[in-house]
Amino acid sequence: MTSAVPIKNLAEWHSPETRSEVIHELIHGVDRYNPTNLPLMEEYLAAQVKEGHYDLLANLAILKLYQFNPQHSNPDVIINILLKSLAATVHGPDFNLCLGVLREPTAILHDIESDDESLVVVMPFLQDLHELSRTCQFRKFWSEFNDDSEAANIIRTRYIQQFASYLDSLRLIFSISCASCFSRISFVQLSRWLDLPSNKVGEWCSKIGWSLEGETAVIPKNGDNDVKAGVVRENVQLNQLTRLVAAAAA
Amino acid sequence: MADPTAFYEPEDDELLSSLAVPAQYQPQADGDEYRRLQELEQHAYAQQQLMAAEQEQEQMQALEMVPEDVKRFLVLFHQAILENDLPTITNMYESGWNKLSQAHYAQNEWPEAELISPLVGNDQVFLTLYRELYFRHVYAKLQPTIDDRFQSYENICELFNYLLNSEGPVPLDLPIQWLWDMLDEFVYQFSSFAQWRASPKNKADDELEMLAEAQHIWSSYSVLNVLYSLVQKSQINEQLKAEKEGKTPEEVAEIAGEYGSKPLYRNLGYFSLICLLRVHVLLGDPTLALQTMENVDLSGGAFLTRITACHVTTYYHVGCSYMALGRWPDAIKTFISVLIFFIRMKQYHTRSYQYGSITKQCERMYALLAICTTLSPGPSDESIMSIVKEHYGDQLAILQRGGDEAIETFKDLYLSAAPRYLNVNPPPYEDPAALESYLANPPIDAINRHLDLFLSDVAAVKGVSNIRNLLKLYTSIDASKLAAFSATEEDGEEEILQQLMVLKAASRTYAKGAGEGTLLDGERIVTNNLDFTIDGSMVHVEETTSHRRFAGFFIRNAEHAQRVYNTIRSAPLPAQRKPTAPAQTQGAQPNGTTPGQAAAPAKAGAWKPKRQVQIAA
Repeated sequence: MTSAVPIKNLAEWHSPETRSEVIHELIHGVDRYNPTNLPLMEEYLAAQVKEGHYDLLANLAILKLYQFNPQHSNPDVIINILLKSLAATVHGPDFNLCLGVLREPTAILHDIESDDESLVVVMPFLQDLHELSRTCQFRKFWSEFNDDSEAANIIRTRYIQQFASYLDSLRLIFSISCASCFSRISFVQLSRWLDLPSNKVGEWCSKIGWSLEGETAVIPKNGDNDVKAGVVRENVQLNQLTRLVAAAAA
Repeated sequence: MADPTAFYEPEDDELLSSLAVPAQYQPQADGDEYRRLQELEQHAYAQQQLMAAEQEQEQMQALEMVPEDVKRFLVLFHQAILENDLPTITNMYESGWNKLSQAHYAQNEWPEAELISPLVGNDQVFLTLYRELYFRHVYAKLQPTIDDRFQSYENICELFNYLLNSEGPVPLDLPIQWLWDMLDEFVYQFSSFAQWRASPKNKADDELEMLAEAQHIWSSYSVLNVLYSLVQKSQINEQLKAEKEGKTPEEVAEIAGEYGSKPLYRNLGYFSLICLLRVHVLLGDPTLALQTMENVDLSGGAFLTRITACHVTTYYHVGCSYMALGRWPDAIKTFISVLIFFIRMKQYHTRSYQYGSITKQCERMYALLAICTTLSPGPSDESIMSIVKEHYGDQLAILQRGGDEAIETFKDLYLSAAPRYLNVNPPPYEDPAALESYLANPPIDAINRHLDLFLSDVAAVKGVSNIRNLLKLYTSIDASKLAAFSATEEDGEEEILQQLMVLKAASRTYAKGAGEGTLLDGERIVTNNLDFTIDGSMVHVEETTSHRRFAGFFIRNAEHAQRVYNTIRSAPLPAQRKPTAPAQTQGAQPNGTTPGQAAAPAKAGAWKPKRQVQIAA
């Protein structure tokens, strides 16, 4: 498992290494509008779900095809894409970017004449989860997630089983949020925020590269949890002075 | 403003009238004896002929009604386009057309293309270009009817079809301003149509019928199709990539191929990329919008800066895309850089007919800046921010105060300044039953969906400024004490820790580094001076202080002083005072021209043909 450190740049976000050349060409060309590519794209999503990869731009390309061809919309695929982006980042724009190309669930279902109404309960539920996650209300997040509501049940029983350790990917992004603030954090707090029994917290911490100190986890310095006050001095570059120098030389 | 008769030159009259009026057709009534049936047939035929002739006569009469200066203009315009005479086309397009529109067609349409076709030898390509201008004038000055919208679509498709599907590149060259305006108008009419179509309310029956039948008209697919076709035909992405790699012009021309090496296609392809940026933003896909621009250079000297409207539109949409990605500093930087440019260029652009719409778009960027700088406070250009404060001072104060009132203000500013998002698919006009239920229960439109998404971004950070202000008072404080100040619930401490994590995230974002990388690339940066770490439950506050910046101020003013000095130095000395000349003339005209000479060019503002008409019908 990767260590829990905030991502330094967006290269992996917009072009993940796991993306194949074929998919890359597809989403960078006109072929992204060709609905006959849907099976290929949906297969790629299924692989992301199963192997724990993530490719936002490819998933948005699927939603784009649904946007243009509403009759091809597949609610299961939509839910998987939303689940993927929910577990990809706490503060990133991913989830809302997906919503930006989706319409309300009733309109989507209307166009495919589906009788399965689960999208209607699941989409608002995922939106709620996303709001809780981005405001770092992790404990409330887990209680909603583990709740006995219809939507939570559908998610748990029908969807996250297919994912490669979905809960762990949520725990990882929550841990990253902690890592950006804390230099040390108590097990009690972690156990609430990560929805782990207290005897499992230590194990989780070592898995993501944190060291243990009694009942406290020590988080390695990562640039965000070890900030020091500094003084920003004005820094004048030579090229700002070109005109002045030129004028003086003339 | 324009003198309507300025175009009129009586001495050329004969030439025009001989050109404009072809030989009249006189139907002959035959008086010979025929059989009854034949007679009837003949009669019917004659009637037909008569009607055709009458129609033709009417047309001729209508053509006679067209003012002489307009006729002369069209003939010369046609000729300039036939000869690919760019300077003349540019002059006629940018100045002549607008002057004549003001003089004769401020309240009504230009003459129909069919009407003026004898003037231009029935040249279909010219007539298509003419119709493009005709409809643009209708959209700008009048209220387009559904027929106008449909016909405009068909006309522009015909034009693109001619450009894309002729055998080989077409022998046409048009000024870049026109090419940009053409594509800009194409996207504008598309979005205008999509907005108009989105609401089935208040539509007449025949309009509903036409909308039901013509699903393809102005469809998102067809618009994207045109833009992508132009991009592909011109190989513009490959060209830009090759240029960036520093290939020689010959190599680039080879990559560009038969079409892309022609300025007409290259420019159309380039502007299509920018139109794609716009369309993707309007359809709610900011990452795709930025991805489309991956090969386009946005720096100060880039090609797109040669046309102000294009420059402003591009930066506006790039900035809006960054906003949707939560990359506030990038959005701020984008808006500010184009606004600075616009303020500098303003004086040269007051004449352009698009000046109004450019100013409006800039106004929207000031509003968006009020939003962005509230969500991501930090130092930004003082001169631009002072304009933001001037225009949106009250709103800015409310935004920064926070609370429910702030949400309302965010909403108002966003609705007035954000792009007019579009629904991809029209209401089900083809299915009356579905349309009924659509009307009874209309779905949320695209603008409001995006508003909700934006407001959720705002709501997610609403507690941030309070807690930031609180932290400023301490160097270290225990979370439980902080909790005592704000939260009332039992888990106050946990709540505070959660809010601190939100604050941390709100002070970090990704921003595009200088130079390298595409628009989607970004490095993690810190956006606020106030930072902190938490050890267990103890919060240690670290505030970075920045020295006042003097150098920028000094450099700006030194350069300004240099410019003033240069201007003064290069100005000619005042001419020797002649004893006969009146004193005030000397003072007002330091360069020595007499008042009459100086006034002459200003008066000759109306369009004038550069040469005589020499055209055969």
